Amino acid sequence: MEEKLSSVAKNFTPSPIQELSHLAQRCNAINLAEGFPDFPAPLQIKDVAVSAINSDFNQYRHVQGICDHLAAAMKKMHDLDVNPLTDIAICCGQTEAFAAAIFAVIDTGDEVVLFDPSYETYEGCITMAGGVPVYVALDPPQWTFCPGKLLKSFTGRTKAIVLNSPHNPTGKVFSKEELEVIAEACCRWDCLAITDEVYEHITFNDKKHISLASLPGMQKRTIITSSLSKTFSVTGWRIGWAIAPAFAASAIRNIHVKITDSAPAPFQEAALTALTSPPEYFEGLKKEYEFKRDFIAKVLTSIGFQIHFKPQGSIFLFAELPKDCLLSDVEYVKELIKEAGVVAVPGCGFFHKKLSMEPLSEASCNYQKRYVRFAFCKSIATLAAAAQKLSDLKNATRYEHS
Amino acid sequence: MQPQCSWTRTHAQMLRPLSHKCSVFSEHWLKAAHSHSHSHSVRRSHNRPTFRATMSTVPTRKESLPAQDGSSQKAPQPLQVAKRLEKFKTTIFTQMSMLAIEHGAINLGQGFPNFDGPEFVKEAAIQAIKDGKNQYARGHGIPEFNAAIAERFKKDTGLVVDPEKEVTVTSGCTEAIAATILGLINPGDEVILFAPFYDSYEATLSMAGAKIKGITLRPPDFAVPIDELKSTVSKNTRAILINTPHNPTGKMFTREELNVIASLCIENDVLVFTDEVYDKLAFEMDHISMASLPSMYDRTVTMNSLGKTFSLTGWKIGWAVAPPHLTWGVRQAHSFLTFATSTPMQWAASVALRAPDSYYVELKRDYLAKKAILVEGLKDVGFKVFPSSGTYFVVVDHTPFGLDDDIAFCEYLIKEVGVVAIPTSVFYLNPEEGKNLVRFTFCKDERTLRSAVERMKEKLRKK
Repeated sequence: MEEKLSSVAKNFTPSPIQELSHLAQRCNAINLAEGFPDFPAPLQIKDVAVSAINSDFNQYRHVQGICDHLAAAMKKMHDLDVNPLTDIAICCGQTEAFAAAIFAVIDTGDEVVLFDPSYETYEGCITMAGGVPVYVALDPPQWTFCPGKLLKSFTGRTKAIVLNSPHNPTGKVFSKEELEVIAEACCRWDCLAITDEVYEHITFNDKKHISLASLPGMQKRTIITSSLSKTFSVTGWRIGWAIAPAFAASAIRNIHVKITDSAPAPFQEAALTALTSPPEYFEGLKKEYEFKRDFIAKVLTSIGFQIHFKPQGSIFLFAELPKDCLLSDVEYVKELIKEAGVVAVPGCGFFHKKLSMEPLSEASCNYQKRYVRFAFCKSIATLAAAAQKLSDLKNATRYEHS
Repeated sequence: MQPQCSWTRTHAQMLRPLSHKCSVFSEHWLKAAHSHSHSHSVRRSHNRPTFRATMSTVPTRKESLPAQDGSSQKAPQPLQVAKRLEKFKTTIFTQMSMLAIEHGAINLGQGFPNFDGPEFVKEAAIQAIKDGKNQYARGHGIPEFNAAIAERFKKDTGLVVDPEKEVTVTSGCTEAIAATILGLINPGDEVILFAPFYDSYEATLSMAGAKIKGITLRPPDFAVPIDELKSTVSKNTRAILINTPHNPTGKMFTREELNVIASLCIENDVLVFTDEVYDKLAFEMDHISMASLPSMYDRTVTMNSLGKTFSLTGWKIGWAVAPPHLTWGVRQAHSFLTFATSTPMQWAASVALRAPDSYYVELKRDYLAKKAILVEGLKDVGFKVFPSSGTYFVVVDHTPFGLDDDIAFCEYLIKEVGVVAIPTSVFYLNPEEGKNLVRFTFCKDERTLRSAVERMKEKLRKK
């Protein structure tokens, strides 16, 4: 019966992140792999959700207030004028907003430009819709891209570019200059941009998150996707959105309605409270994560990891294996789980060999197996425990070798 | 803010333009130049129902957009939406809902309750939130919930399934349908649908590029036309979609009908996707799952949800049960559609599915009482009421009242009588086939149902 699977499903492989998670669970490892917190969500937001359930907000609904708040936020953060009645679609998480956006604009054969490395789900979604992913490398160690190569990756078949900033897995926050290059490519080829901005409120050292849509000529061609999940530590609530010009928002809403019909009702209510959190909340969030970033960076450096690029945002740190390490990223992570009881994600799952310009030689491709992604969206206790285990491992190894 | 209306071209042809605020835009719609969209909702005050609010149109022809910033270096490509959306229709529900609000009409149109779910389930969700169960659930469902689903499935069908390999949790049955179709259907595959059908089926099938073959179920008993079915199913058929108990007619597929479908599927190697969300609202006969018929489990995806059984339609908890080789495809698509389902609600759903038999007995009893009020009332008013064996819907023939078609009748019913029904033509591949029928729901409290009946008795006159 296996032949009954669609060709799309047949080409898919299980998520490497999830598989390692299972190994980690079996070994009872400290999970610095998956990007969700192990500390509680803000109490006041949970209380609103509880009260919503009690007040019978449990049937299908669309809470327009969310759109109003989002429109206000877009104005405040990016000086974007968004019409809350026409330009916003509430979805089950950024995942669904992105899927709906892709299905709304991608036809079979349409090319979609992506940066490499990237979150593994984008490609799957694009492929499911019949699109063709075209990758442009972010070059280590600073994860910069060559503007010429970017421009050359656009063709007459390019429909859209996907931009994730702040970036998973590198933690890069695309600069104004970089965004201008991307915007120029989009405008020149009259393409759309679909952004994933879920880490929009997690930036460090006063680095500002700039939304691609706020650049000249971009708002009318950009679909912004984001969610409550990372900002409010409620990844399991599935409240996200797409903000786009009316024609796209409407198509996305149409598709969303056919895919899931509505986002969970009580959590939409809670979103109203979340989205009107005072500035102190966001400042606190940044500070807390900045501290954790610094902590984990220090720990990893002390055990030999090479951190050429300190994350400017997101909840991830992408570190290169120690200089003298001969293992691949996957082998190293397996060892880390077994010997230290700490799990992280091998970077190879985020890289794609087939880059748009020249295919890379084996040698220059090597870096794709040298990186490991650590999540620091964990409680201090968890991070401290991980630090302990890692330094124990290092001491043990050192002892062994002496 | 002024609400705006939008219609696809096909609807603009079918409908008379509404006489109120929207008429300003009617000329623009008829040109179908651009898609407009808007969304609105009613902030829920205590007694008023809330409405799904989505509507949009899709341009059905390409439009060139002028290059306003002068930066284009080639002839600008129209910024259009994907071809797969060309079949998408405006949701009639929203149009009716807006009219309903304006006229203060009693809404027996949209299929969700105006009463709430049981306390013990809500409490479980609250407890889960407080216990910190607010992060990503395992993609295909939390183990507890998968196990509860498998347990319930065994109780209902007698089949033993592996919760880890054969159960997938989704954001509502709507997503189960989308994931099943996108995960198992290739572009060009033939899929059979029974009309009238829940509106997401056609939309999702066209997203997957399927070739849809419709078989119409006709009044008075909406029986499956066996001969037509036999001539439609062939070796080229990839799948057949069955919704039982059936929305909108309330029909329940009989064992004989399912047997015929089953043997055709086995003979021609066809998959079956079943939507059984109303299985606990089976009144006139026992609900039968296709998967439980001999040799059928291996080729069936059985889908269900929490919403209708537990009056919590907004929680979006659904699932698909299928053999491992089919579950694989469903899970793949699901992982790209929503990735994971609401965590606290899954914990609550585990509790719900372990509800004692008495819950289901009482549920049926309550709904039967409501059904009686509505059905008797509709008959007294003068509708031709078709027998509905299950779901909380009933379809009626409105022609005794002299309106041209179902949409005209529904508009009249809202404006002149103050009651909302749903025109069923939207549920057909060929809308003409539904023009004599409208759908009422009785998932409302008894007082609401009685008021609606009173209004109709008072103001609805036969022609």
